[in-house]
Amino acid sequence: MSVSLTINDQTVTVDADPATPLLWVLRDHLGMTGTKFGCGIAQCGACTVHINDQAMRSCQFPLEAAVGMKIRTIEGLSPDSSHPLQQLWVELNVPQCGYCQAGMLMAAAALLKQKPKPSDDDIDQYVSNVCRCGTYPRIRAAIHKAAERMQASAAKTAKVTA
Amino acid sequence: MSANPMNTLPASDGGLNRRQFIVSTLAAGGALVIGTRNGFAAVRDTVPLAAGTSEFTPWLTIAKDDTVTVRVTTPDIGNGTLTQAAAFVMEELGADWNKIKTEYASTSRDFAEDGVYSKVGGIIGYFSGRSTGPDRMKTYLQVGASARERLKLAASQKWGVPVGEIEAKDSKLMHAKSGRTLRFGEVIDKAATVKLTAEPKPKEQSQWTFLTKTTPAKKQLPQIVNGSLVYGMDVRLPNMVYAALRQSPVHGGKLKSYDFDAIRNMPGVHAAVVVERGKPHASDLKSPLPLGLSTTQSAIAVIAEHYWQARTALDALPVEWDDGPGSQWKTTQQMNQAALAALEKEGDKIEKSSGDVEAAFKSAKTLVEASYLTPYCEQAPMEPLNGTALVTKDRVELWHPSQHSQMGFLVAADETGIDPANITFHQTHVGGGFGRRVFSDDVRMVVAVAKQFPDRPVHVIWSREESTRQGRYRPLMAGKLKASLGDDGLPTALLARVSGGPDFFVRGLPDSAIGNGVVPNVQIESQVVPFHVMTGPYRGPGYNSCSFFVETFIDECAIKAGIDPLEYRLKLYGKWADIGWTKCLKEVAAKSGWGEKLPKGQGRGIAIANWGMDGKPDAGTTCATVAKVAVSKSGELKILQIDVAFDTGRVMNRDAVKTELEGGTLFGLNMSLNEELNIKNGQIVEGNYDVYPMIRMAHTPRSINIHFGGLSDNPRFNEIGEPPVGPIGPAIGNAIFQATGKRVRTTPLRKHDLRWA
Repeated sequence: MSVSLTINDQTVTVDADPATPLLWVLRDHLGMTGTKFGCGIAQCGACTVHINDQAMRSCQFPLEAAVGMKIRTIEGLSPDSSHPLQQLWVELNVPQCGYCQAGMLMAAAALLKQKPKPSDDDIDQYVSNVCRCGTYPRIRAAIHKAAERMQASAAKTAKVTA
Repeated sequence: MSANPMNTLPASDGGLNRRQFIVSTLAAGGALVIGTRNGFAAVRDTVPLAAGTSEFTPWLTIAKDDTVTVRVTTPDIGNGTLTQAAAFVMEELGADWNKIKTEYASTSRDFAEDGVYSKVGGIIGYFSGRSTGPDRMKTYLQVGASARERLKLAASQKWGVPVGEIEAKDSKLMHAKSGRTLRFGEVIDKAATVKLTAEPKPKEQSQWTFLTKTTPAKKQLPQIVNGSLVYGMDVRLPNMVYAALRQSPVHGGKLKSYDFDAIRNMPGVHAAVVVERGKPHASDLKSPLPLGLSTTQSAIAVIAEHYWQARTALDALPVEWDDGPGSQWKTTQQMNQAALAALEKEGDKIEKSSGDVEAAFKSAKTLVEASYLTPYCEQAPMEPLNGTALVTKDRVELWHPSQHSQMGFLVAADETGIDPANITFHQTHVGGGFGRRVFSDDVRMVVAVAKQFPDRPVHVIWSREESTRQGRYRPLMAGKLKASLGDDGLPTALLARVSGGPDFFVRGLPDSAIGNGVVPNVQIESQVVPFHVMTGPYRGPGYNSCSFFVETFIDECAIKAGIDPLEYRLKLYGKWADIGWTKCLKEVAAKSGWGEKLPKGQGRGIAIANWGMDGKPDAGTTCATVAKVAVSKSGELKILQIDVAFDTGRVMNRDAVKTELEGGTLFGLNMSLNEELNIKNGQIVEGNYDVYPMIRMAHTPRSINIHFGGLSDNPRFNEIGEPPVGPIGPAIGNAIFQATGKRVRTTPLRKHDLRWA
């Protein structure tokens, strides 16, 4: 079955079984391998993407349900790795093996969209992905710092506008 | 949309077997680099040298645009091996750090050129292992120094000035007197061919300006954060098909029957192929590890156009297995009891014997004795096992997230019988290893499947369940320790018996301080129990179990002697010739607030261990950990704070060491708190993270502090990945005792009833 999807603000056409998980549509059919396969049962979050701005685990999200939705993947988080989270992930040397980090970044980005100044408890709740290397302390620090940076830049923009 | 560039590769006109391919670690977006090889006619498909690039040595090339490429043998499994290799070269070369990139060294070339890489560092040191080993450090420093001198010599000849007047800095060659400057790239043609009259001597450590002074982040981070880093799972090749895999649910069993007709007409399905339980074939290959370690299980794989089609068809395929003798082990309990029972008789193997333990026991006033048990655990790297292979009549080409690419390369030759000269192994990035990808049984399985579907690249993917249930696990191990205490409360004799499934490791006991003089009389014995479950290296092999046995037992001795657990260890390990132990204990105690009063239901526990010392002082990495826990009356355990002090001798990259200590501590915390594989009728029960729990952000202690005050400054840069896994578990267990009065002697700790009143 051929369907149209909106991914990272572009329309693409995919020919796949409507029950195929979005994860495998992205990875196999579209060659977008930034979104990772980790567990297949929506446990680990390595496959996290945004669907209508919400963090979703794409391994349990069938293709047919994605039609008409606004999908964003790690490849489209920013055009040039300029999202404050991406910058801080590098500055604070967050990743170790890095395999889970696309999912972590997408979960964290969705959190900051909903809660621009998240508490530690918010981070615990929204970023429930698994990292076997144990980068959690750095992920937490990077999210807090990104929130500060985004607020500072928002304040600056507001000042200029005023 | 930025798709994986591997997918945009133009269709090949001559077939993939002529393709020259490299996964370059810094090429834009992990792009394919296709080029013609300069020079190595004897080697097929080894590293292609891009146009405008000169090779200085097999370890280093420089391009006309000044790009320095350092070839690295050790797969980076998250531990920063690529970056450390670049840092060694950086120290001597005088390059701009941003112009140094890395790529994996070619196993084909190593084979064809008489161990050009593997002669450095020996068996494990090549294509596996650590980044700061002395051989490796020496090699890269020399490579950097030699290249620098050749660049300078080329510039001096060009300018007609003495070489001593030229300085190399920021990828430039400068002659201060005349104010002339050349970029590295402008003299590479000449520099790559000039001969030095003598090899330069690399700097003394005291002269270093980059190593130990800076903390560069991992080179591949920019590609990780935009999703473009290519792991094994991300390999995309023209004409590629996918295979979904199922192996005998009981290790050692075999496939009895299957009904391909039931899935033949499912969408995209090409074939089902059977893999026999594999033994190595061509035994004359000289491999770094025994080829027998790469034995495959009996398996069936469904091959389809897309992975999801293969997976769906495999799930629908009727399969029957003959379980074999492993099914005699009906329950975990039965296996645990067998391991514990083995401790009641003398061990088959004497691991260590000094003094007279029995005599000391006979005359002792105080004896302490306890048994411990740690279960099977799975490394569970985030990237499930997978690999891609293209097998043709006379060639094999692989793209694999290996932890030992030389082993993988030879396993591919062994499995196919094809001449290693016609094998190409492309090391990809790796989504975690922790020991799982060393034996290369995964490589053998991929090749065994792909050779039955020749002429198309086959990407074989283990589901998470398959990865978990078909592991090479940390062995189930039991330990019984008995000590006599002297008038000062310290052990006068120690008898330790360890048992476990075949191929368990005893590291952390006979090689540790306790086995080498701090206790005057020592007897350490081991006994193998014939379990069928496959085992292998798991972060800190042996050490991760034995540290739990020893450091829980030492705590029990301290309590029996009525001495504070910190004081007890200072007295005991104060006898050990390596001052790092005492320094680490004092540092972690001071920084963790040891001795400060805690409310009821809270406790601190301490533990110390050394990975890699091999019975010698001033060796290995010592790690001391204090855990502060709270246990509610209803038994809920919370880790409030963790403090770690360590002694690697010296530290090469402070932040790299800190992040490994944080991660390794959390790995050991999960191992001790959560991990256990159960057996039912010979099969592994747990398959996925819903039943094999992993700590997440919410369970991670908010306070994890790494302290540098334990460093002894002994002139070594020992490894840091494995050491923190040892002491965290016993530290938590000992803290639980302080909080509740309950002594935990088995893991996972989550299974204990910790209620108190």
